[in-house]
Amino acid sequence: MEQEKVTVTVNGLRYERLVEPRRLLCDFIRQDLGLPGTHVGCEHGVCGMCTVLVNGQTARSCLMFAVQADGASITTVEGVGTPSKMHPLQQAFWEKHGLQCGFCTPAMLVTALELLNHNPTPSRDEIREAISSNLCRCTGYQTIVDSVEHAATLMRGGV
Amino acid sequence: MTTQQTGYRWIGQSMKRVEDPRLLTGRGQYVDDIALPNMTYAAALRSPHAHARIRSIDTSKAKAVPGVILVMTGAEAAQQTGPLPCFASPPVTQYCIAVDRVRHVGEAVAAVVAESRYIAEDAADLIEVEYEPLPVVTDPEEAIRSTGDAVLHPERGPNNIALQRTLTFGPVDEDFAKADVVVRRKLRWPRSGAQPMETVGALASYDDATGKFSIYANTSMYNYVGWLMAMSLKVPAHKLNIIPTMAGGSFGSKLFTHKVPILAATLARACGRPVKYVEDRIDNIMNCDNHGSDRIYDLELALKKDGTMLSLRMTVIDDYGAYLQFGVGHHGNALAQLTGPYRIKSAQVSLTAVMTNKGQQGAYRGFGSEVNNFAVERMADAAAEALKMDPVDIRRKNFIQPDQFPYKIPTGNVYDSGNYEAVLDKALGMADYHGWRRKQHEARKEGRYVGIGLVSCQERSVFSATEFWFWNHEPGFALTSSPDSVDIKIDPTGKAFVRLHAPFWGNSPETVATQVLAEQLTIDPVDITVTYADTDSGLPGTGPGGSRYTVMIAGAIAGAAKEIKEKMFKVAAHLLEASESDLELRDGRVSVRGTDRGMSIGEIALQAHYFKLSLPADFRSGLDARYTYDHPYTTLPNADRTDMGVFYPIMGHMCHIPIIEVDIETGQIKFLKYVAVHDAGTVVNPMTLAGHIRGGTVQGIGSALYEHYYYDSSGQLLTANFADYLIPTLMEAPENIEVGHVVTPSPYTEYGIKGGGEGGRMGAPAALASAVEDALKPLGIKIDGLPIRPVLLREMIREAQQRRTEDGAAEDLQGPSDWSGRSSREHLGGPPGNAER
Amino acid sequence: MKPAPFSYVRPMTVEEALFALAQQGDEAKVLAGGQSLIAMMNLRLLKPRCLVDINRVAALDYIRQDNGTLAIGALTRQSAAETSPLVLQHCPLMTEAIQYIAHRPIRNRGTVGGNLAHADPTSELPAVAVATDATFVVRSANGQRTILAADFFVGHLTTALRPDELLTEVRVPPWRPAGQGWSFMEVSPRKGDYALVGVAATLQVKDGACQAARLVYNGVAGRAQRVPEAERALVGRNADEAAFREAASIASQRVDPHSDFHATAAYRRDLVNTLTRRALAQALARCGKRSA
Repeated sequence: MEQEKVTVTVNGLRYERLVEPRRLLCDFIRQDLGLPGTHVGCEHGVCGMCTVLVNGQTARSCLMFAVQADGASITTVEGVGTPSKMHPLQQAFWEKHGLQCGFCTPAMLVTALELLNHNPTPSRDEIREAISSNLCRCTGYQTIVDSVEHAATLMRGGV
Repeated sequence: MTTQQTGYRWIGQSMKRVEDPRLLTGRGQYVDDIALPNMTYAAALRSPHAHARIRSIDTSKAKAVPGVILVMTGAEAAQQTGPLPCFASPPVTQYCIAVDRVRHVGEAVAAVVAESRYIAEDAADLIEVEYEPLPVVTDPEEAIRSTGDAVLHPERGPNNIALQRTLTFGPVDEDFAKADVVVRRKLRWPRSGAQPMETVGALASYDDATGKFSIYANTSMYNYVGWLMAMSLKVPAHKLNIIPTMAGGSFGSKLFTHKVPILAATLARACGRPVKYVEDRIDNIMNCDNHGSDRIYDLELALKKDGTMLSLRMTVIDDYGAYLQFGVGHHGNALAQLTGPYRIKSAQVSLTAVMTNKGQQGAYRGFGSEVNNFAVERMADAAAEALKMDPVDIRRKNFIQPDQFPYKIPTGNVYDSGNYEAVLDKALGMADYHGWRRKQHEARKEGRYVGIGLVSCQERSVFSATEFWFWNHEPGFALTSSPDSVDIKIDPTGKAFVRLHAPFWGNSPETVATQVLAEQLTIDPVDITVTYADTDSGLPGTGPGGSRYTVMIAGAIAGAAKEIKEKMFKVAAHLLEASESDLELRDGRVSVRGTDRGMSIGEIALQAHYFKLSLPADFRSGLDARYTYDHPYTTLPNADRTDMGVFYPIMGHMCHIPIIEVDIETGQIKFLKYVAVHDAGTVVNPMTLAGHIRGGTVQGIGSALYEHYYYDSSGQLLTANFADYLIPTLMEAPENIEVGHVVTPSPYTEYGIKGGGEGGRMGAPAALASAVEDALKPLGIKIDGLPIRPVLLREMIREAQQRRTEDGAAEDLQGPSDWSGRSSREHLGGPPGNAER
Repeated sequence: MKPAPFSYVRPMTVEEALFALAQQGDEAKVLAGGQSLIAMMNLRLLKPRCLVDINRVAALDYIRQDNGTLAIGALTRQSAAETSPLVLQHCPLMTEAIQYIAHRPIRNRGTVGGNLAHADPTSELPAVAVATDATFVVRSANGQRTILAADFFVGHLTTALRPDELLTEVRVPPWRPAGQGWSFMEVSPRKGDYALVGVAATLQVKDGACQAARLVYNGVAGRAQRVPEAERALVGRNADEAAFREAASIASQRVDPHSDFHATAAYRRDLVNTLTRRALAQALARCGKRSA
């Protein structure tokens, strides 16, 4: 099988791999780079579980081939924060119960990150609009909106 | 928000969850995140036919694909692996890969193992199967009459009736004879399902040196009935170790997922390498063995003129699909709260469970009782309408009263405690019910259709075991136990280690265990760690489901903690030269009451582990305990099944009041307000309980308005992807589900906790039906079925408008001409809904 | 759910892309945003032998205006068009319609050209293109031609593009300087889903009378469908509720929609009726304004 060379920067680290052109970016990130925090839910672009940031913008990693990310800078949940050094978004999701099973959470976090990077003071409606791209089956969404709203406050230095 | 008794340090706190730091940072270690050296990947070939004989399968082209390791047909798999576990009596034979015959679309007919999932799918595409189509049955009423080739399991009998039985509780005929009014309604509850964001998966390996399987899986109940998987795999139970992984949601659907682990294990044994099989979304929709109830009800409610409910008759047809893994347990479950919160004196249920060419039923948040709630609450509304009573008043009139508990309902189940009027009143107040009735009146004058729904539903919690079999003519394996266990050790440094024997499946078992143990031992939650046992180390563990795990963990931890406290007191009494009866445990120290003499738990633990000779001679070293907590209150059914015994006595309750507006021109529904007041007894963690209530409510909204596994008459599943199976997004959910609590502690459980995990889904579907019907009252529209999709609602509205036109009264039915220009917020003070985006 | 194998070509220039298409013929599919294509490939509904990935053809990523004509390069991401002041100024109807396309992450990848060339009959941009008399610039190794939007969409997922041709630019003629009113409205099962019915409406009013109107629907036929009879019913009449009702009624009778699980033909007609009326009312309210 024909292989293509892919060079990407993920969470600040540079990776170089050979992949088949058909390899989906989500499988590349999870399996080839060993970063399983990005989840796969439907593989047809509806549920949003596999959302990552590609050059700062949200993208469904099940609807991109790894070869397309050649040269790109990608952020996954592993690059948002760690348990000992949580990002304010993670802190806010923890405090406001923005997750239950946690499966949609990595995608919710990077989606919220895109929003807050562009709009540090979003209204609840703006948060709702942004988050509506991703399904969550546990929370009913309300506490996710609370979490993002709280994160915006934390990121502005509030409490 | 909560009005429970005080005096607890950790119980009742909205403590941040212990599970979260790893889930928030991508370290959840869900089943698909686990990798083993030399791992392979499996894919299944799915049947395109709903019902067909498999004439032949040619796998030669698939086997020739580079990177393919194994291709296996059902017949080949059946040579190694027997039928899947089945709780029906008599059982229905199902294999991990179909043998000879497929019975629904999506059923696996062959599996491929390859170096990558990509290659496995390439090869699956090349498998050639010759099918001989058989007659397809998808209509449950038609299934009752099926004969010949349309019978799915001829070895089980000459028709598609899985079970038919009538149960009568109390003097039903006499009560109907006494009635002033009999209200009748036919209802349709359609097939929907849990569809957690994570599908079912397993990573299996087989060590032929030891003859033992190891399976990582996101299943549950492995420490209850996991050994059944070993039987299917034809190995002794100690040759199978099931290692739980965190589950990305279950909602019942991972209760006991056996097919995927057994398939992965079968393939692993055959190819000699670890095999990962994770369902893709299409598999999980078509072939997950976990579709929800699919029922047709004919209901009769007998009442006195004054609204007193006397007796309830139900005739139910339930379409179980192609297999029957849990028997008709769902109908056993519904008997726990058959008559709702009402003093209905007698009841009868005639059940016909049928088999059709659809995916089989499993468990989905409510396990059949959410459907019963829908039926009972629709009848309460119908009765109110028939008697021209307010829907609030008819409920209030019939509620079981607080001084009547424990209360035995006609089926024999006992309700432990409750205060239904308190829940109702709280909800009415939070919703400003009477204010909204006035607003509704004003809105109608403007040609706008605002509806106020109201339901008062039961949430039975903490299932026991008899419901699985007591409907059966031949009970089969008539088990009566449903225990859960923990083991706890305090290590030499005084830190606490808790091991659970059932998995995380989206709930908060680590947090609950931590809060309860912190309360019990007066220690800080940061000094507690929680892990999960596999089957090798497992104690009896029925696990989550039926809103049981919080109650069961609390009971088990309290039991184990008591033993640990006794050991600590023994050590402390000896070393402090005090009497045990003079000691107290407080703030992590055992002290002589009234003095400053004491030892910390860490000091005691060090002594208990290393200083045997300083301790009483009969002291066994260490500081640990294991405890198996049985279901607190189960009794047997009687022989003729006129009394099913006590099997689900921990009784929660809820009142939901959704306020909605219907756009009669598009049939779309938007939320103006949503209030949910629950009684889950003593609340362990208000934050996580509210999470279940809200999340369950939105799932219930999905069931009520959006979601449908819709099979056409040829058995094709038309909603087999996430673009067609419509899980609510944030925009379909109410902006604010206002949650309230009323606390009536259970007399039967530790701390008085009741379960609350099934949350809002027990009430929301009935509440939405009530609200939509209320909104469209001027048009005379009845909501007898779900989901209330805009296309169907608009059809009913169109017909109603035509009826009215024929009656010459069409003018008032036109929507406001400038609808598009205004939002309801301006008019009614509610939040914006989703009709305009 | 993984795509079948394919060979992969990644041109850096339009010429390279055209060369690749000429070489591969109908074995190849152009990969732009891929937000529909890759989903279909994952489901193995499509198994192209070759993908020509034009995502590095930077020359196709632009939004310009020239004397009021809006020119959008085919590789322009939908989210870029959505937030473009130029698009808002010169075609606010498109700005409004794009917000109905799925969700932000899809629009971040999905391209304007890819959406149009995919020709999904439920999609929003084809209706906008037809409603605005847009023209499509199409190139092949043999040359360039322009196609009127009305001629570009042939049927369900079918366009006038030949296998060796690449859509390179969409041109939207000048927005009526007097300020025509516009509205895009849509009903879909959930937020972001494929449309059941959508309508792109424009309206010009002078002294209270309708001078011109466009009514184009997505979701009611194999391609974006204009209903001239309904438009004619408006011209020359007072722009009022009665006229809008009549146009809506005509439109709902003229369309011949299909039935599927999510919507019957009758329901789609109802939606055409209701959305037309509401969209015209909103368009009227916007007459004389440049943007929303």
